[in-house]
Amino acid sequence: MMRRSSSTRNHVRALLPQLVLGIGAAFGVAGRADAALSPQAELGRQLFFDTALSASGRLACASCHSPAHGYGPPDGAAVRMGGAALDQPGSRAVPSLRYVLNRTPVWSKPFIASPTERLLEGNEPPAGGFGWDGRFDTLQAQAAFPLLAANEMANRDPEEVARKLAAAPYADRFKRVFGATIFADPRQAFAQARAALAAFELEDPSFHPYSSKYDDYLDGRASLSAQERRGLALFDEVQGGNCAACHPDRKGADGSHPLFTDYQFEALGVPRNPQLRANADPHFHDAGLCGPLRNDQRGQKSYCGLFKTPGLRNVATRRVFFHNGRFHTLKEALRFYVRRDTHPAQWYPASGGVVDKFDDLPRDERGNIDVIDAPLTRSAGQAPVWTDAQIDDVIAFLKTLTDRDAAPAALSVSNLHLQR
Amino acid sequence: MKRLRAWAAALLAAVAAMMATSGTARTPLDKVPTQAARIRHVFIIVLENKNYTDTFGTSTQDPYLQKTLVPMGALLTQYYGTGHVSLDNYIAMISGQAPTPDTADDCVPGLIGTLGNYTDVAQAGWAPQGQVVATAGCIYPTRVKTLVDQMTRVGLSWRGYMEDMGNDPARESAACGHPVIGVGTDHTNTAEAPSTAVPLGDAYASRHDPFVYFHSIIDSKSCKTNVVNLSRLQVDLAQLRTTPNLVFITPNLCNDGHDGAGTGATGTTCANGQPGGLRSADGFLRTWVPRILASPAYREDGLLIVTFDESTYGTVTSSRNTTTGQTTVDITYAGQTCCDQQPGPNLAGVRPSATTLVSTPTVVQKLVFAGFGGDRIGAVLVSPFILPGSTSATPYNHYGLLRSLEDIFHVGGYLGYAADDPRAGYHLNTIGNDEAIFQHP
Repeated sequence: MMRRSSSTRNHVRALLPQLVLGIGAAFGVAGRADAALSPQAELGRQLFFDTALSASGRLACASCHSPAHGYGPPDGAAVRMGGAALDQPGSRAVPSLRYVLNRTPVWSKPFIASPTERLLEGNEPPAGGFGWDGRFDTLQAQAAFPLLAANEMANRDPEEVARKLAAAPYADRFKRVFGATIFADPRQAFAQARAALAAFELEDPSFHPYSSKYDDYLDGRASLSAQERRGLALFDEVQGGNCAACHPDRKGADGSHPLFTDYQFEALGVPRNPQLRANADPHFHDAGLCGPLRNDQRGQKSYCGLFKTPGLRNVATRRVFFHNGRFHTLKEALRFYVRRDTHPAQWYPASGGVVDKFDDLPRDERGNIDVIDAPLTRSAGQAPVWTDAQIDDVIAFLKTLTDRDAAPAALSVSNLHLQR
Repeated sequence: MKRLRAWAAALLAAVAAMMATSGTARTPLDKVPTQAARIRHVFIIVLENKNYTDTFGTSTQDPYLQKTLVPMGALLTQYYGTGHVSLDNYIAMISGQAPTPDTADDCVPGLIGTLGNYTDVAQAGWAPQGQVVATAGCIYPTRVKTLVDQMTRVGLSWRGYMEDMGNDPARESAACGHPVIGVGTDHTNTAEAPSTAVPLGDAYASRHDPFVYFHSIIDSKSCKTNVVNLSRLQVDLAQLRTTPNLVFITPNLCNDGHDGAGTGATGTTCANGQPGGLRSADGFLRTWVPRILASPAYREDGLLIVTFDESTYGTVTSSRNTTTGQTTVDITYAGQTCCDQQPGPNLAGVRPSATTLVSTPTVVQKLVFAGFGGDRIGAVLVSPFILPGSTSATPYNHYGLLRSLEDIFHVGGYLGYAADDPRAGYHLNTIGNDEAIFQHP
């Protein structure tokens, strides 16, 4: 169980040998030996940090999902660069892997049988699945994507990954865990490698440390400052920020600590990001749930523009926000929420005095964007639900969600990831 | 004289034997004139949101219910829900309380009710027939009693068996599971799909579990032992002494038919991928009813009741203004009643009503309740004392069900709208009196 009581967490911490493993040191990781990990998970840890598994030889899972940064991106690049020459931009901003993995439900769209109750109780949006578009139901399935994507680790096929595994320093360990003949079947070796990565991600305590000030606050071991309390109240206010409606912030029935996501999909109408190479084509639209990366919901036009709600733990350490990385500071991101509708010209291009609102979607799909839930219900010219001072209060609260070991992402973008 | 003494001795022995079986004293049997008087164990399965004409007519998704249970038992053709949307029906079944402005809307916040979520009833007084006058809220104060409080008082046992409750312990406890009172959103309003941490998913819904809306129950230590996960039922059915007198079963949101269209078509399934609708409900009955019917308690003196909370007799009309691009959706419930049902003291402006749920430049959604009832749902009763294949057109509703159970269990009184109101000439039929369906003494 990922969410634990504080006493259990402290117990786990006490058991952890404080040994930094060499394989993680290059990533600034506290990669710790942990006797509680299964052999698969221990092997998965080595795979996670292995740059040799990429075509460039310079990209590992940990390159984008930096353990030092809460398993999120290490800097403010809207997307990361990949491919054999590290010159291919990724498709979307890198999400954090911390906390949510074993609680993420498989993708689903509950269908309420009664048409009247569908409308009365809310036609629930889809929820779950891994990735911004929820297209992977398991971590094993998800792991195949970066390993094989031409703009990420860029292996040609599973056989190429298997060859790299067979030549890796941990090949003997791989055989001990999965059988002496595992490399005789490259597809099976590929599958087991993904299972090992999943085991590491699910088992390793570094994916769920619960070491933030807010965790201490929930356990009665810390107090929030006046500003943080104001921010929490603004975060919760249903007719105001209404953030907790999608990012729940209360303890669970068993005392477990919140993960700040309901895993549901939402269309926010984030402005188009001109930094993305793909957006040079005016006809390209990343519509999330209905494609182009996800194929099985292409016919569902009502799903276009919907992306999965991310968790907010360590959000204050990030320098890239929303699926397309359009914003690089938390203040910008929050101002967008509360001023999207009151000051649309701040966010969207205008021509002849007409603002092209929700410009990152084709016009016939813009009706999917949320204009029903606060704070997305106001009109141009109205006052935003928050002032800038109140936004600062909310940011103060969000900073309490930062784990003790989570370093802020770099303000600048490393050359490695800016190569074009 | 001697023969009379022998008859009296035999009668005493029979009564003693009954007392030994149930562990409780019985009140006289004269309140129930049919063989229903012999019932000591009642098993209720409540399904969700289906029209009588579908369930017992046109649907092809429930062959077990229509073709096995109906011929085996009695069909109540004029059984009505007491409200829309869900929770108020469940509350009526065990307490006789009419809706509050919030329970009328499943305590979903931001709709017609003023508080929503899992909050205490804001009581402003009392109305005739023990009705709570409430301005808002969902959880009744301790002084509002329920059938199970009545049963406990006379030494009878009960349990609520809730499928999926506690599957995700972060969502709700596995015993007496409910959201934290007055805090945040009720996350049981949405079914949770399976994950690594919750491999079966969690489709328990507090609003389908009436017991957790009464402080008289949730504040009692016995709530933890009496409101339990459905998985407990098989163990309890194994012996007569372990089977509660009242077994109240709520399937999860998929197996009660609330979710899913029942076809399995893409985009119409439950969160767990099952087809839902009447098809999953029928599958649930096919699994659990044989277990119940095979139990010693049922065979001894049991009655199984399968019904629904409410109907879906509603219409949805949609029109689009081609000039403005605005789509208007009107949802209209008929809200029909039976049995001289009264709206209760809290529905002014709530039922009947027309409410705009959403109004944006692109869409307007209006909700219209033409009446305050729950429309026609029907019920099937199966018992060793039932006339197989019988039908009754006597009108019943959930208040009548409560009165029927109060009679069967001889709890010594009637709660809320289960009670008579002589001034208004209000009196409910009870199933134990229905000679069309029960064997005669």
